[in-house]
Amino acid sequence: MRDFGKSLIRFALIIALSLVIGAIFIMIIGENPISAYAALVKGAFVGKLNLGKTLANFTPLMLTALAFAVGAKGGAFNVGVEGEVFLGGIAAAYIGIHWGFLPMPIHLLACFLGAMIVAAMWAFIPGALKAYYGVNEVCSTILLNYVAFYITSYLVSGPMSAGVANAQSDPVADQVKLYQFMKPSSANVGMFIAIIVGIIAIWILNKTTFGYKIRTVGLNASHAEYVGINPKHTFVKTMIFSGVLGGIAGCIEILGVHGYFLNNFAANIGFNGMLAALVVKNNLILTPFMAFFLGALKSGALGLQQATSVPKSIVDTITAVFIIIATMDLLFQFKKKKQIQQSDEPLKPEASQEKEA
Amino acid sequence: MTFEKIINLSLIYATLRSATPIIYASLCAAITQQADILNIGTEGIMLTGAFTAVTVSYLTGSWLLAVIVAMLAGLVMASVIAVGHLKYGAEITAIGIGINMFALAFTKYMLNSLLGKTGSFTDPKIIGIPKVHLAFLDNSPALNELFNNWAVTEWFAFILVGILTFVLFKTVWGLRLRAVGKFPMAAQTAGINVTAMRYQALAISGLVGGLAGAHLSLGYSKMFTENMTNGRGFMGVAAMFFGGAHPVLTAIGCLVFGFADSIGARLQAYGVPSQFVLLMPYVVTVAVLAISMATKQSREARKKSALITTAPSTLTEKRG
Amino acid sequence: MSSFVVEMKGINKNFGEVCAVKNGHIQVEKGEIHALIGENGAGKSTMMKLLYGLFPHDAGDIWVSEKQIKNMTPKRAIDLGIGMVHQEFMLVNELTVLENILLGFEPKKGLTVDFATGRAQVQQFIDQYGLDIQMDKRIHQISVGEAQRVEIIKILSRGAEIIILDEPTAVLTPQEADGLFEILKKLKADGKSVIFISHKLDEVMKISDRISVMRQGAYIGTVQKTETNPAQLAQMMIGREVFLNIKKSEVNSGAKVLDVQDLWTSGEKEISKIRGISFEVHEGEILGIAGIDGNGQSELIEAITGLRKVEKGKVILAGEAITNLSVSNIRAKGMTHIPEDRNKRGLNRALTIWENIIATHIGDQAFSKNKVLSLQHSIDYANELAEQFDIRPRDVTMPTQSLSGGNAQKVVVAREVAMNGKLLVASQPTRGVDIGAIESIRSILEKVKEQGTGVLLVSADLEEILSLSDRIIVMFEGKISGTLTASEATDTKLGYLMMGGKTEEAAHA
Repeated sequence: MRDFGKSLIRFALIIALSLVIGAIFIMIIGENPISAYAALVKGAFVGKLNLGKTLANFTPLMLTALAFAVGAKGGAFNVGVEGEVFLGGIAAAYIGIHWGFLPMPIHLLACFLGAMIVAAMWAFIPGALKAYYGVNEVCSTILLNYVAFYITSYLVSGPMSAGVANAQSDPVADQVKLYQFMKPSSANVGMFIAIIVGIIAIWILNKTTFGYKIRTVGLNASHAEYVGINPKHTFVKTMIFSGVLGGIAGCIEILGVHGYFLNNFAANIGFNGMLAALVVKNNLILTPFMAFFLGALKSGALGLQQATSVPKSIVDTITAVFIIIATMDLLFQFKKKKQIQQSDEPLKPEASQEKEA
Repeated sequence: MTFEKIINLSLIYATLRSATPIIYASLCAAITQQADILNIGTEGIMLTGAFTAVTVSYLTGSWLLAVIVAMLAGLVMASVIAVGHLKYGAEITAIGIGINMFALAFTKYMLNSLLGKTGSFTDPKIIGIPKVHLAFLDNSPALNELFNNWAVTEWFAFILVGILTFVLFKTVWGLRLRAVGKFPMAAQTAGINVTAMRYQALAISGLVGGLAGAHLSLGYSKMFTENMTNGRGFMGVAAMFFGGAHPVLTAIGCLVFGFADSIGARLQAYGVPSQFVLLMPYVVTVAVLAISMATKQSREARKKSALITTAPSTLTEKRG
Repeated sequence: MSSFVVEMKGINKNFGEVCAVKNGHIQVEKGEIHALIGENGAGKSTMMKLLYGLFPHDAGDIWVSEKQIKNMTPKRAIDLGIGMVHQEFMLVNELTVLENILLGFEPKKGLTVDFATGRAQVQQFIDQYGLDIQMDKRIHQISVGEAQRVEIIKILSRGAEIIILDEPTAVLTPQEADGLFEILKKLKADGKSVIFISHKLDEVMKISDRISVMRQGAYIGTVQKTETNPAQLAQMMIGREVFLNIKKSEVNSGAKVLDVQDLWTSGEKEISKIRGISFEVHEGEILGIAGIDGNGQSELIEAITGLRKVEKGKVILAGEAITNLSVSNIRAKGMTHIPEDRNKRGLNRALTIWENIIATHIGDQAFSKNKVLSLQHSIDYANELAEQFDIRPRDVTMPTQSLSGGNAQKVVVAREVAMNGKLLVASQPTRGVDIGAIESIRSILEKVKEQGTGVLLVSADLEEILSLSDRIIVMFEGKISGTLTASEATDTKLGYLMMGGKTEEAAHA
């Protein structure tokens, strides 16, 4: 718990620092930082549209952030969430468009299942390449993101094209569209699905044997192997789990926000989710809050731009500064820094082995 | 024949031209990769360079000054990565993506507040990088079409590939850098300052990345657009993977990516979806990675096997 | 005033609370081959790393060529003509041999490396010492023996007059080792001084002029090769200590519980590859495997417990073949295992005591109903074991990384012993734990045996082997160098076998 308190203090410091830097930017363009920040908060939370936008931003981010965090718990640095979102989205769109003969609940379920399966299969590729051949998953997932993008781009400009100017698919059947409850924002019931999925994912990781295996492999693969947990199988399954979450994010975006597959709809959803998770060191409980925070900043920035002459890009700049500072583990942790520097000394570990012998 | 319509001089020209910004980006990523640092921030460094170059050129009317300041701007961005990663323990991918976000937002902000524009900025006062006219090529239509009127930085991209190859494989610094990237402790016991080498690699990467941006906004085009790198930095990283961070192979990777790009657009006209061509280089790169890792694995397994009695090299007997 | 090329006096070095060297001492004469011998953890490597300046010493004086040196660093050491060949080669696999040799000390032509000059320099050393290497091959293409020659040329080309070799023969085949000795003799003839770390008596007797012995961090003595013999050296290395008192219970051995037949498995080093080992463990018996670390014990245990692929041969547990089955499968058939490294394998340090205790139970119905962990049952069970095995502090929700070495090891022991398997493999079960924990873990092993479980005990600690085992096999370079019963074994005999002696000779030792 003390660590938890420490990390909260650390965050407060980082946010304060980012706000100060942002205030300087705002003052440069001759605006009052206090009223600008007030407009930012208002733009994120006050009013149906604003709050709705925040919630709509939050939904996919939370899922992609959890997708990344789940992977990280199992030792995977899964940069490929974005590709999983694309492929999950296209699967949901295909089923949503073409399987209208199914009764509503089954049709909706089919969309989700299809998205989950396709995204899981996609995540399996880098998972297996890492587990069995040692291919760095950061490299393979960066590359595979492009492949996923081009596949979906081909589908919506070719076989699944709606034939309009933009590359996009036909709309999905009305019965599977997720109800938007805060119109005109695109916040939709997908958010509740996402929250439930998120809770289930956290529960799986913390309370089930599967979650135990993931965490064990992620923390110490050779220990896992020794107690009888196959680290390779578990790694692949972790990637699949991560893929499923990414797929659900894609499905909700298609059924809830757009209603059809829009080319490149997921640009940066995966990356931003990953950042949300990284900033809180993949802490599963904090991850959704960080996703919410980033989502609120995004919609708040729009509100700020409309209410004042402060451009949205200032908020994006501050957000980026916040993230850059937050990635620096050793900042604001002066005591720990010393320890890590010591253990960085490459020749020490050998010596400490000998001392035990 | 349709084949000739698809593959012709203008295709090759288009390939070479569209590859040059990516070549710079891939070299930016390759230098740090040689020190075992994955520079995801290439995209952001490049975008910063692009914006800086256009602004300085517009304000001063000097393309050379613009290029130099753009390189310095790249250096600043790379320094943030360097200090964050090497001093404050930032995860390299995370801080790289953070830098990309920052560059995207900050250039937008500056475009807005400094130049008073949104979306894009173009002005006759922007002085582009001059083009090289080689008079002797005028007589040969083919060579003329292919190689004449290139911007200085387009030529320089290929020269830089040579320079970096030379630096990495012939100079003292390059040898030390490669040792640091592959086995830092060996470098350390040879009296090399590992951390200093890593800082230097990132610094040079920043300069190259800034140049990449300047080329994009002043050589390849003559304007700045929000997010004008549009994934070229990432494509450079992919090409770097393709070439295993060797400058020449990496540049070939860029040409493969660029070729896929140009031929994809043409094949579209013949009913072949361009996306299939576009995604091929990525698939090939993944396959290359998988095969090379699998080979390495089996080689190491063979070394450890008890069933093989002699060590892999028995050539030692030959000389003595 | 010292007439030695190297003199280290009263050296102390602590790592944290652990003392690695206390009152270390060595004097090396110019032009001699000086062997520094001792068991694992005797402090030999640490002494030499201090001399090379890899880390600072806490107390004592270091003199090199009659100059006292404070604040030694590797760079300083190189300047003073000291070169060290580390146990793990400092060679970059992807670079060529020539590049590796020149690295850090490149002959320059402007900014570039003057490879031609460098090549000529290296060729000189090759010719002078008959060091046979191929300069244009990459390190991963050459053999270990050749890589070692590259290391030697590397330090020679940096002007080394004092050459430290840290267990150089550990990675070599016998033929390669002979080749190395020829090189060392040439170096000596050329006036270079060689410090040679080893624990193999035959090679020490073969090559050195003088021999210094260390034991448990302390200097024991220095002898002339001509005035000593292997038996005396073994005795100096092992020493005589008071045994911890454990009453050895009656041997009541029953049916075969483990049968290893002609086992072959891969190894991290040439001498740790297992090539054809056979032995048996019976119910109610402790079979001890003695040997100096790195002679294949780890690989053997991994092969038996399913952690390393068996390349040839069979492992049979209580009548069932378990060769190359999965770890979980082998465990389900009654294998339990206390691994040699509790931090790497035995524990998941970031997880709590109870999470570590249930690691081998997560498939059991009692611990996970329908794949959902049963928290209460897990904690109850962990509490029960904590009580029974006296794990302190008695709070099973503590992360194991905050436990002391002894209590952390007890968590591993508790988990494995409570499984009630048919065979308990205990590898270095008391390494790095306090004396109280040593006693309690040893008595637990005794109890396990009395209950009829077969125990396979691997230990580098002779005292532990002698006080617990009913039968003892000694491993040397991936093979069994001797088998003894408890009654005929003495520390000297074992020590002799551990260092590559022959059984017949051991009988007279």
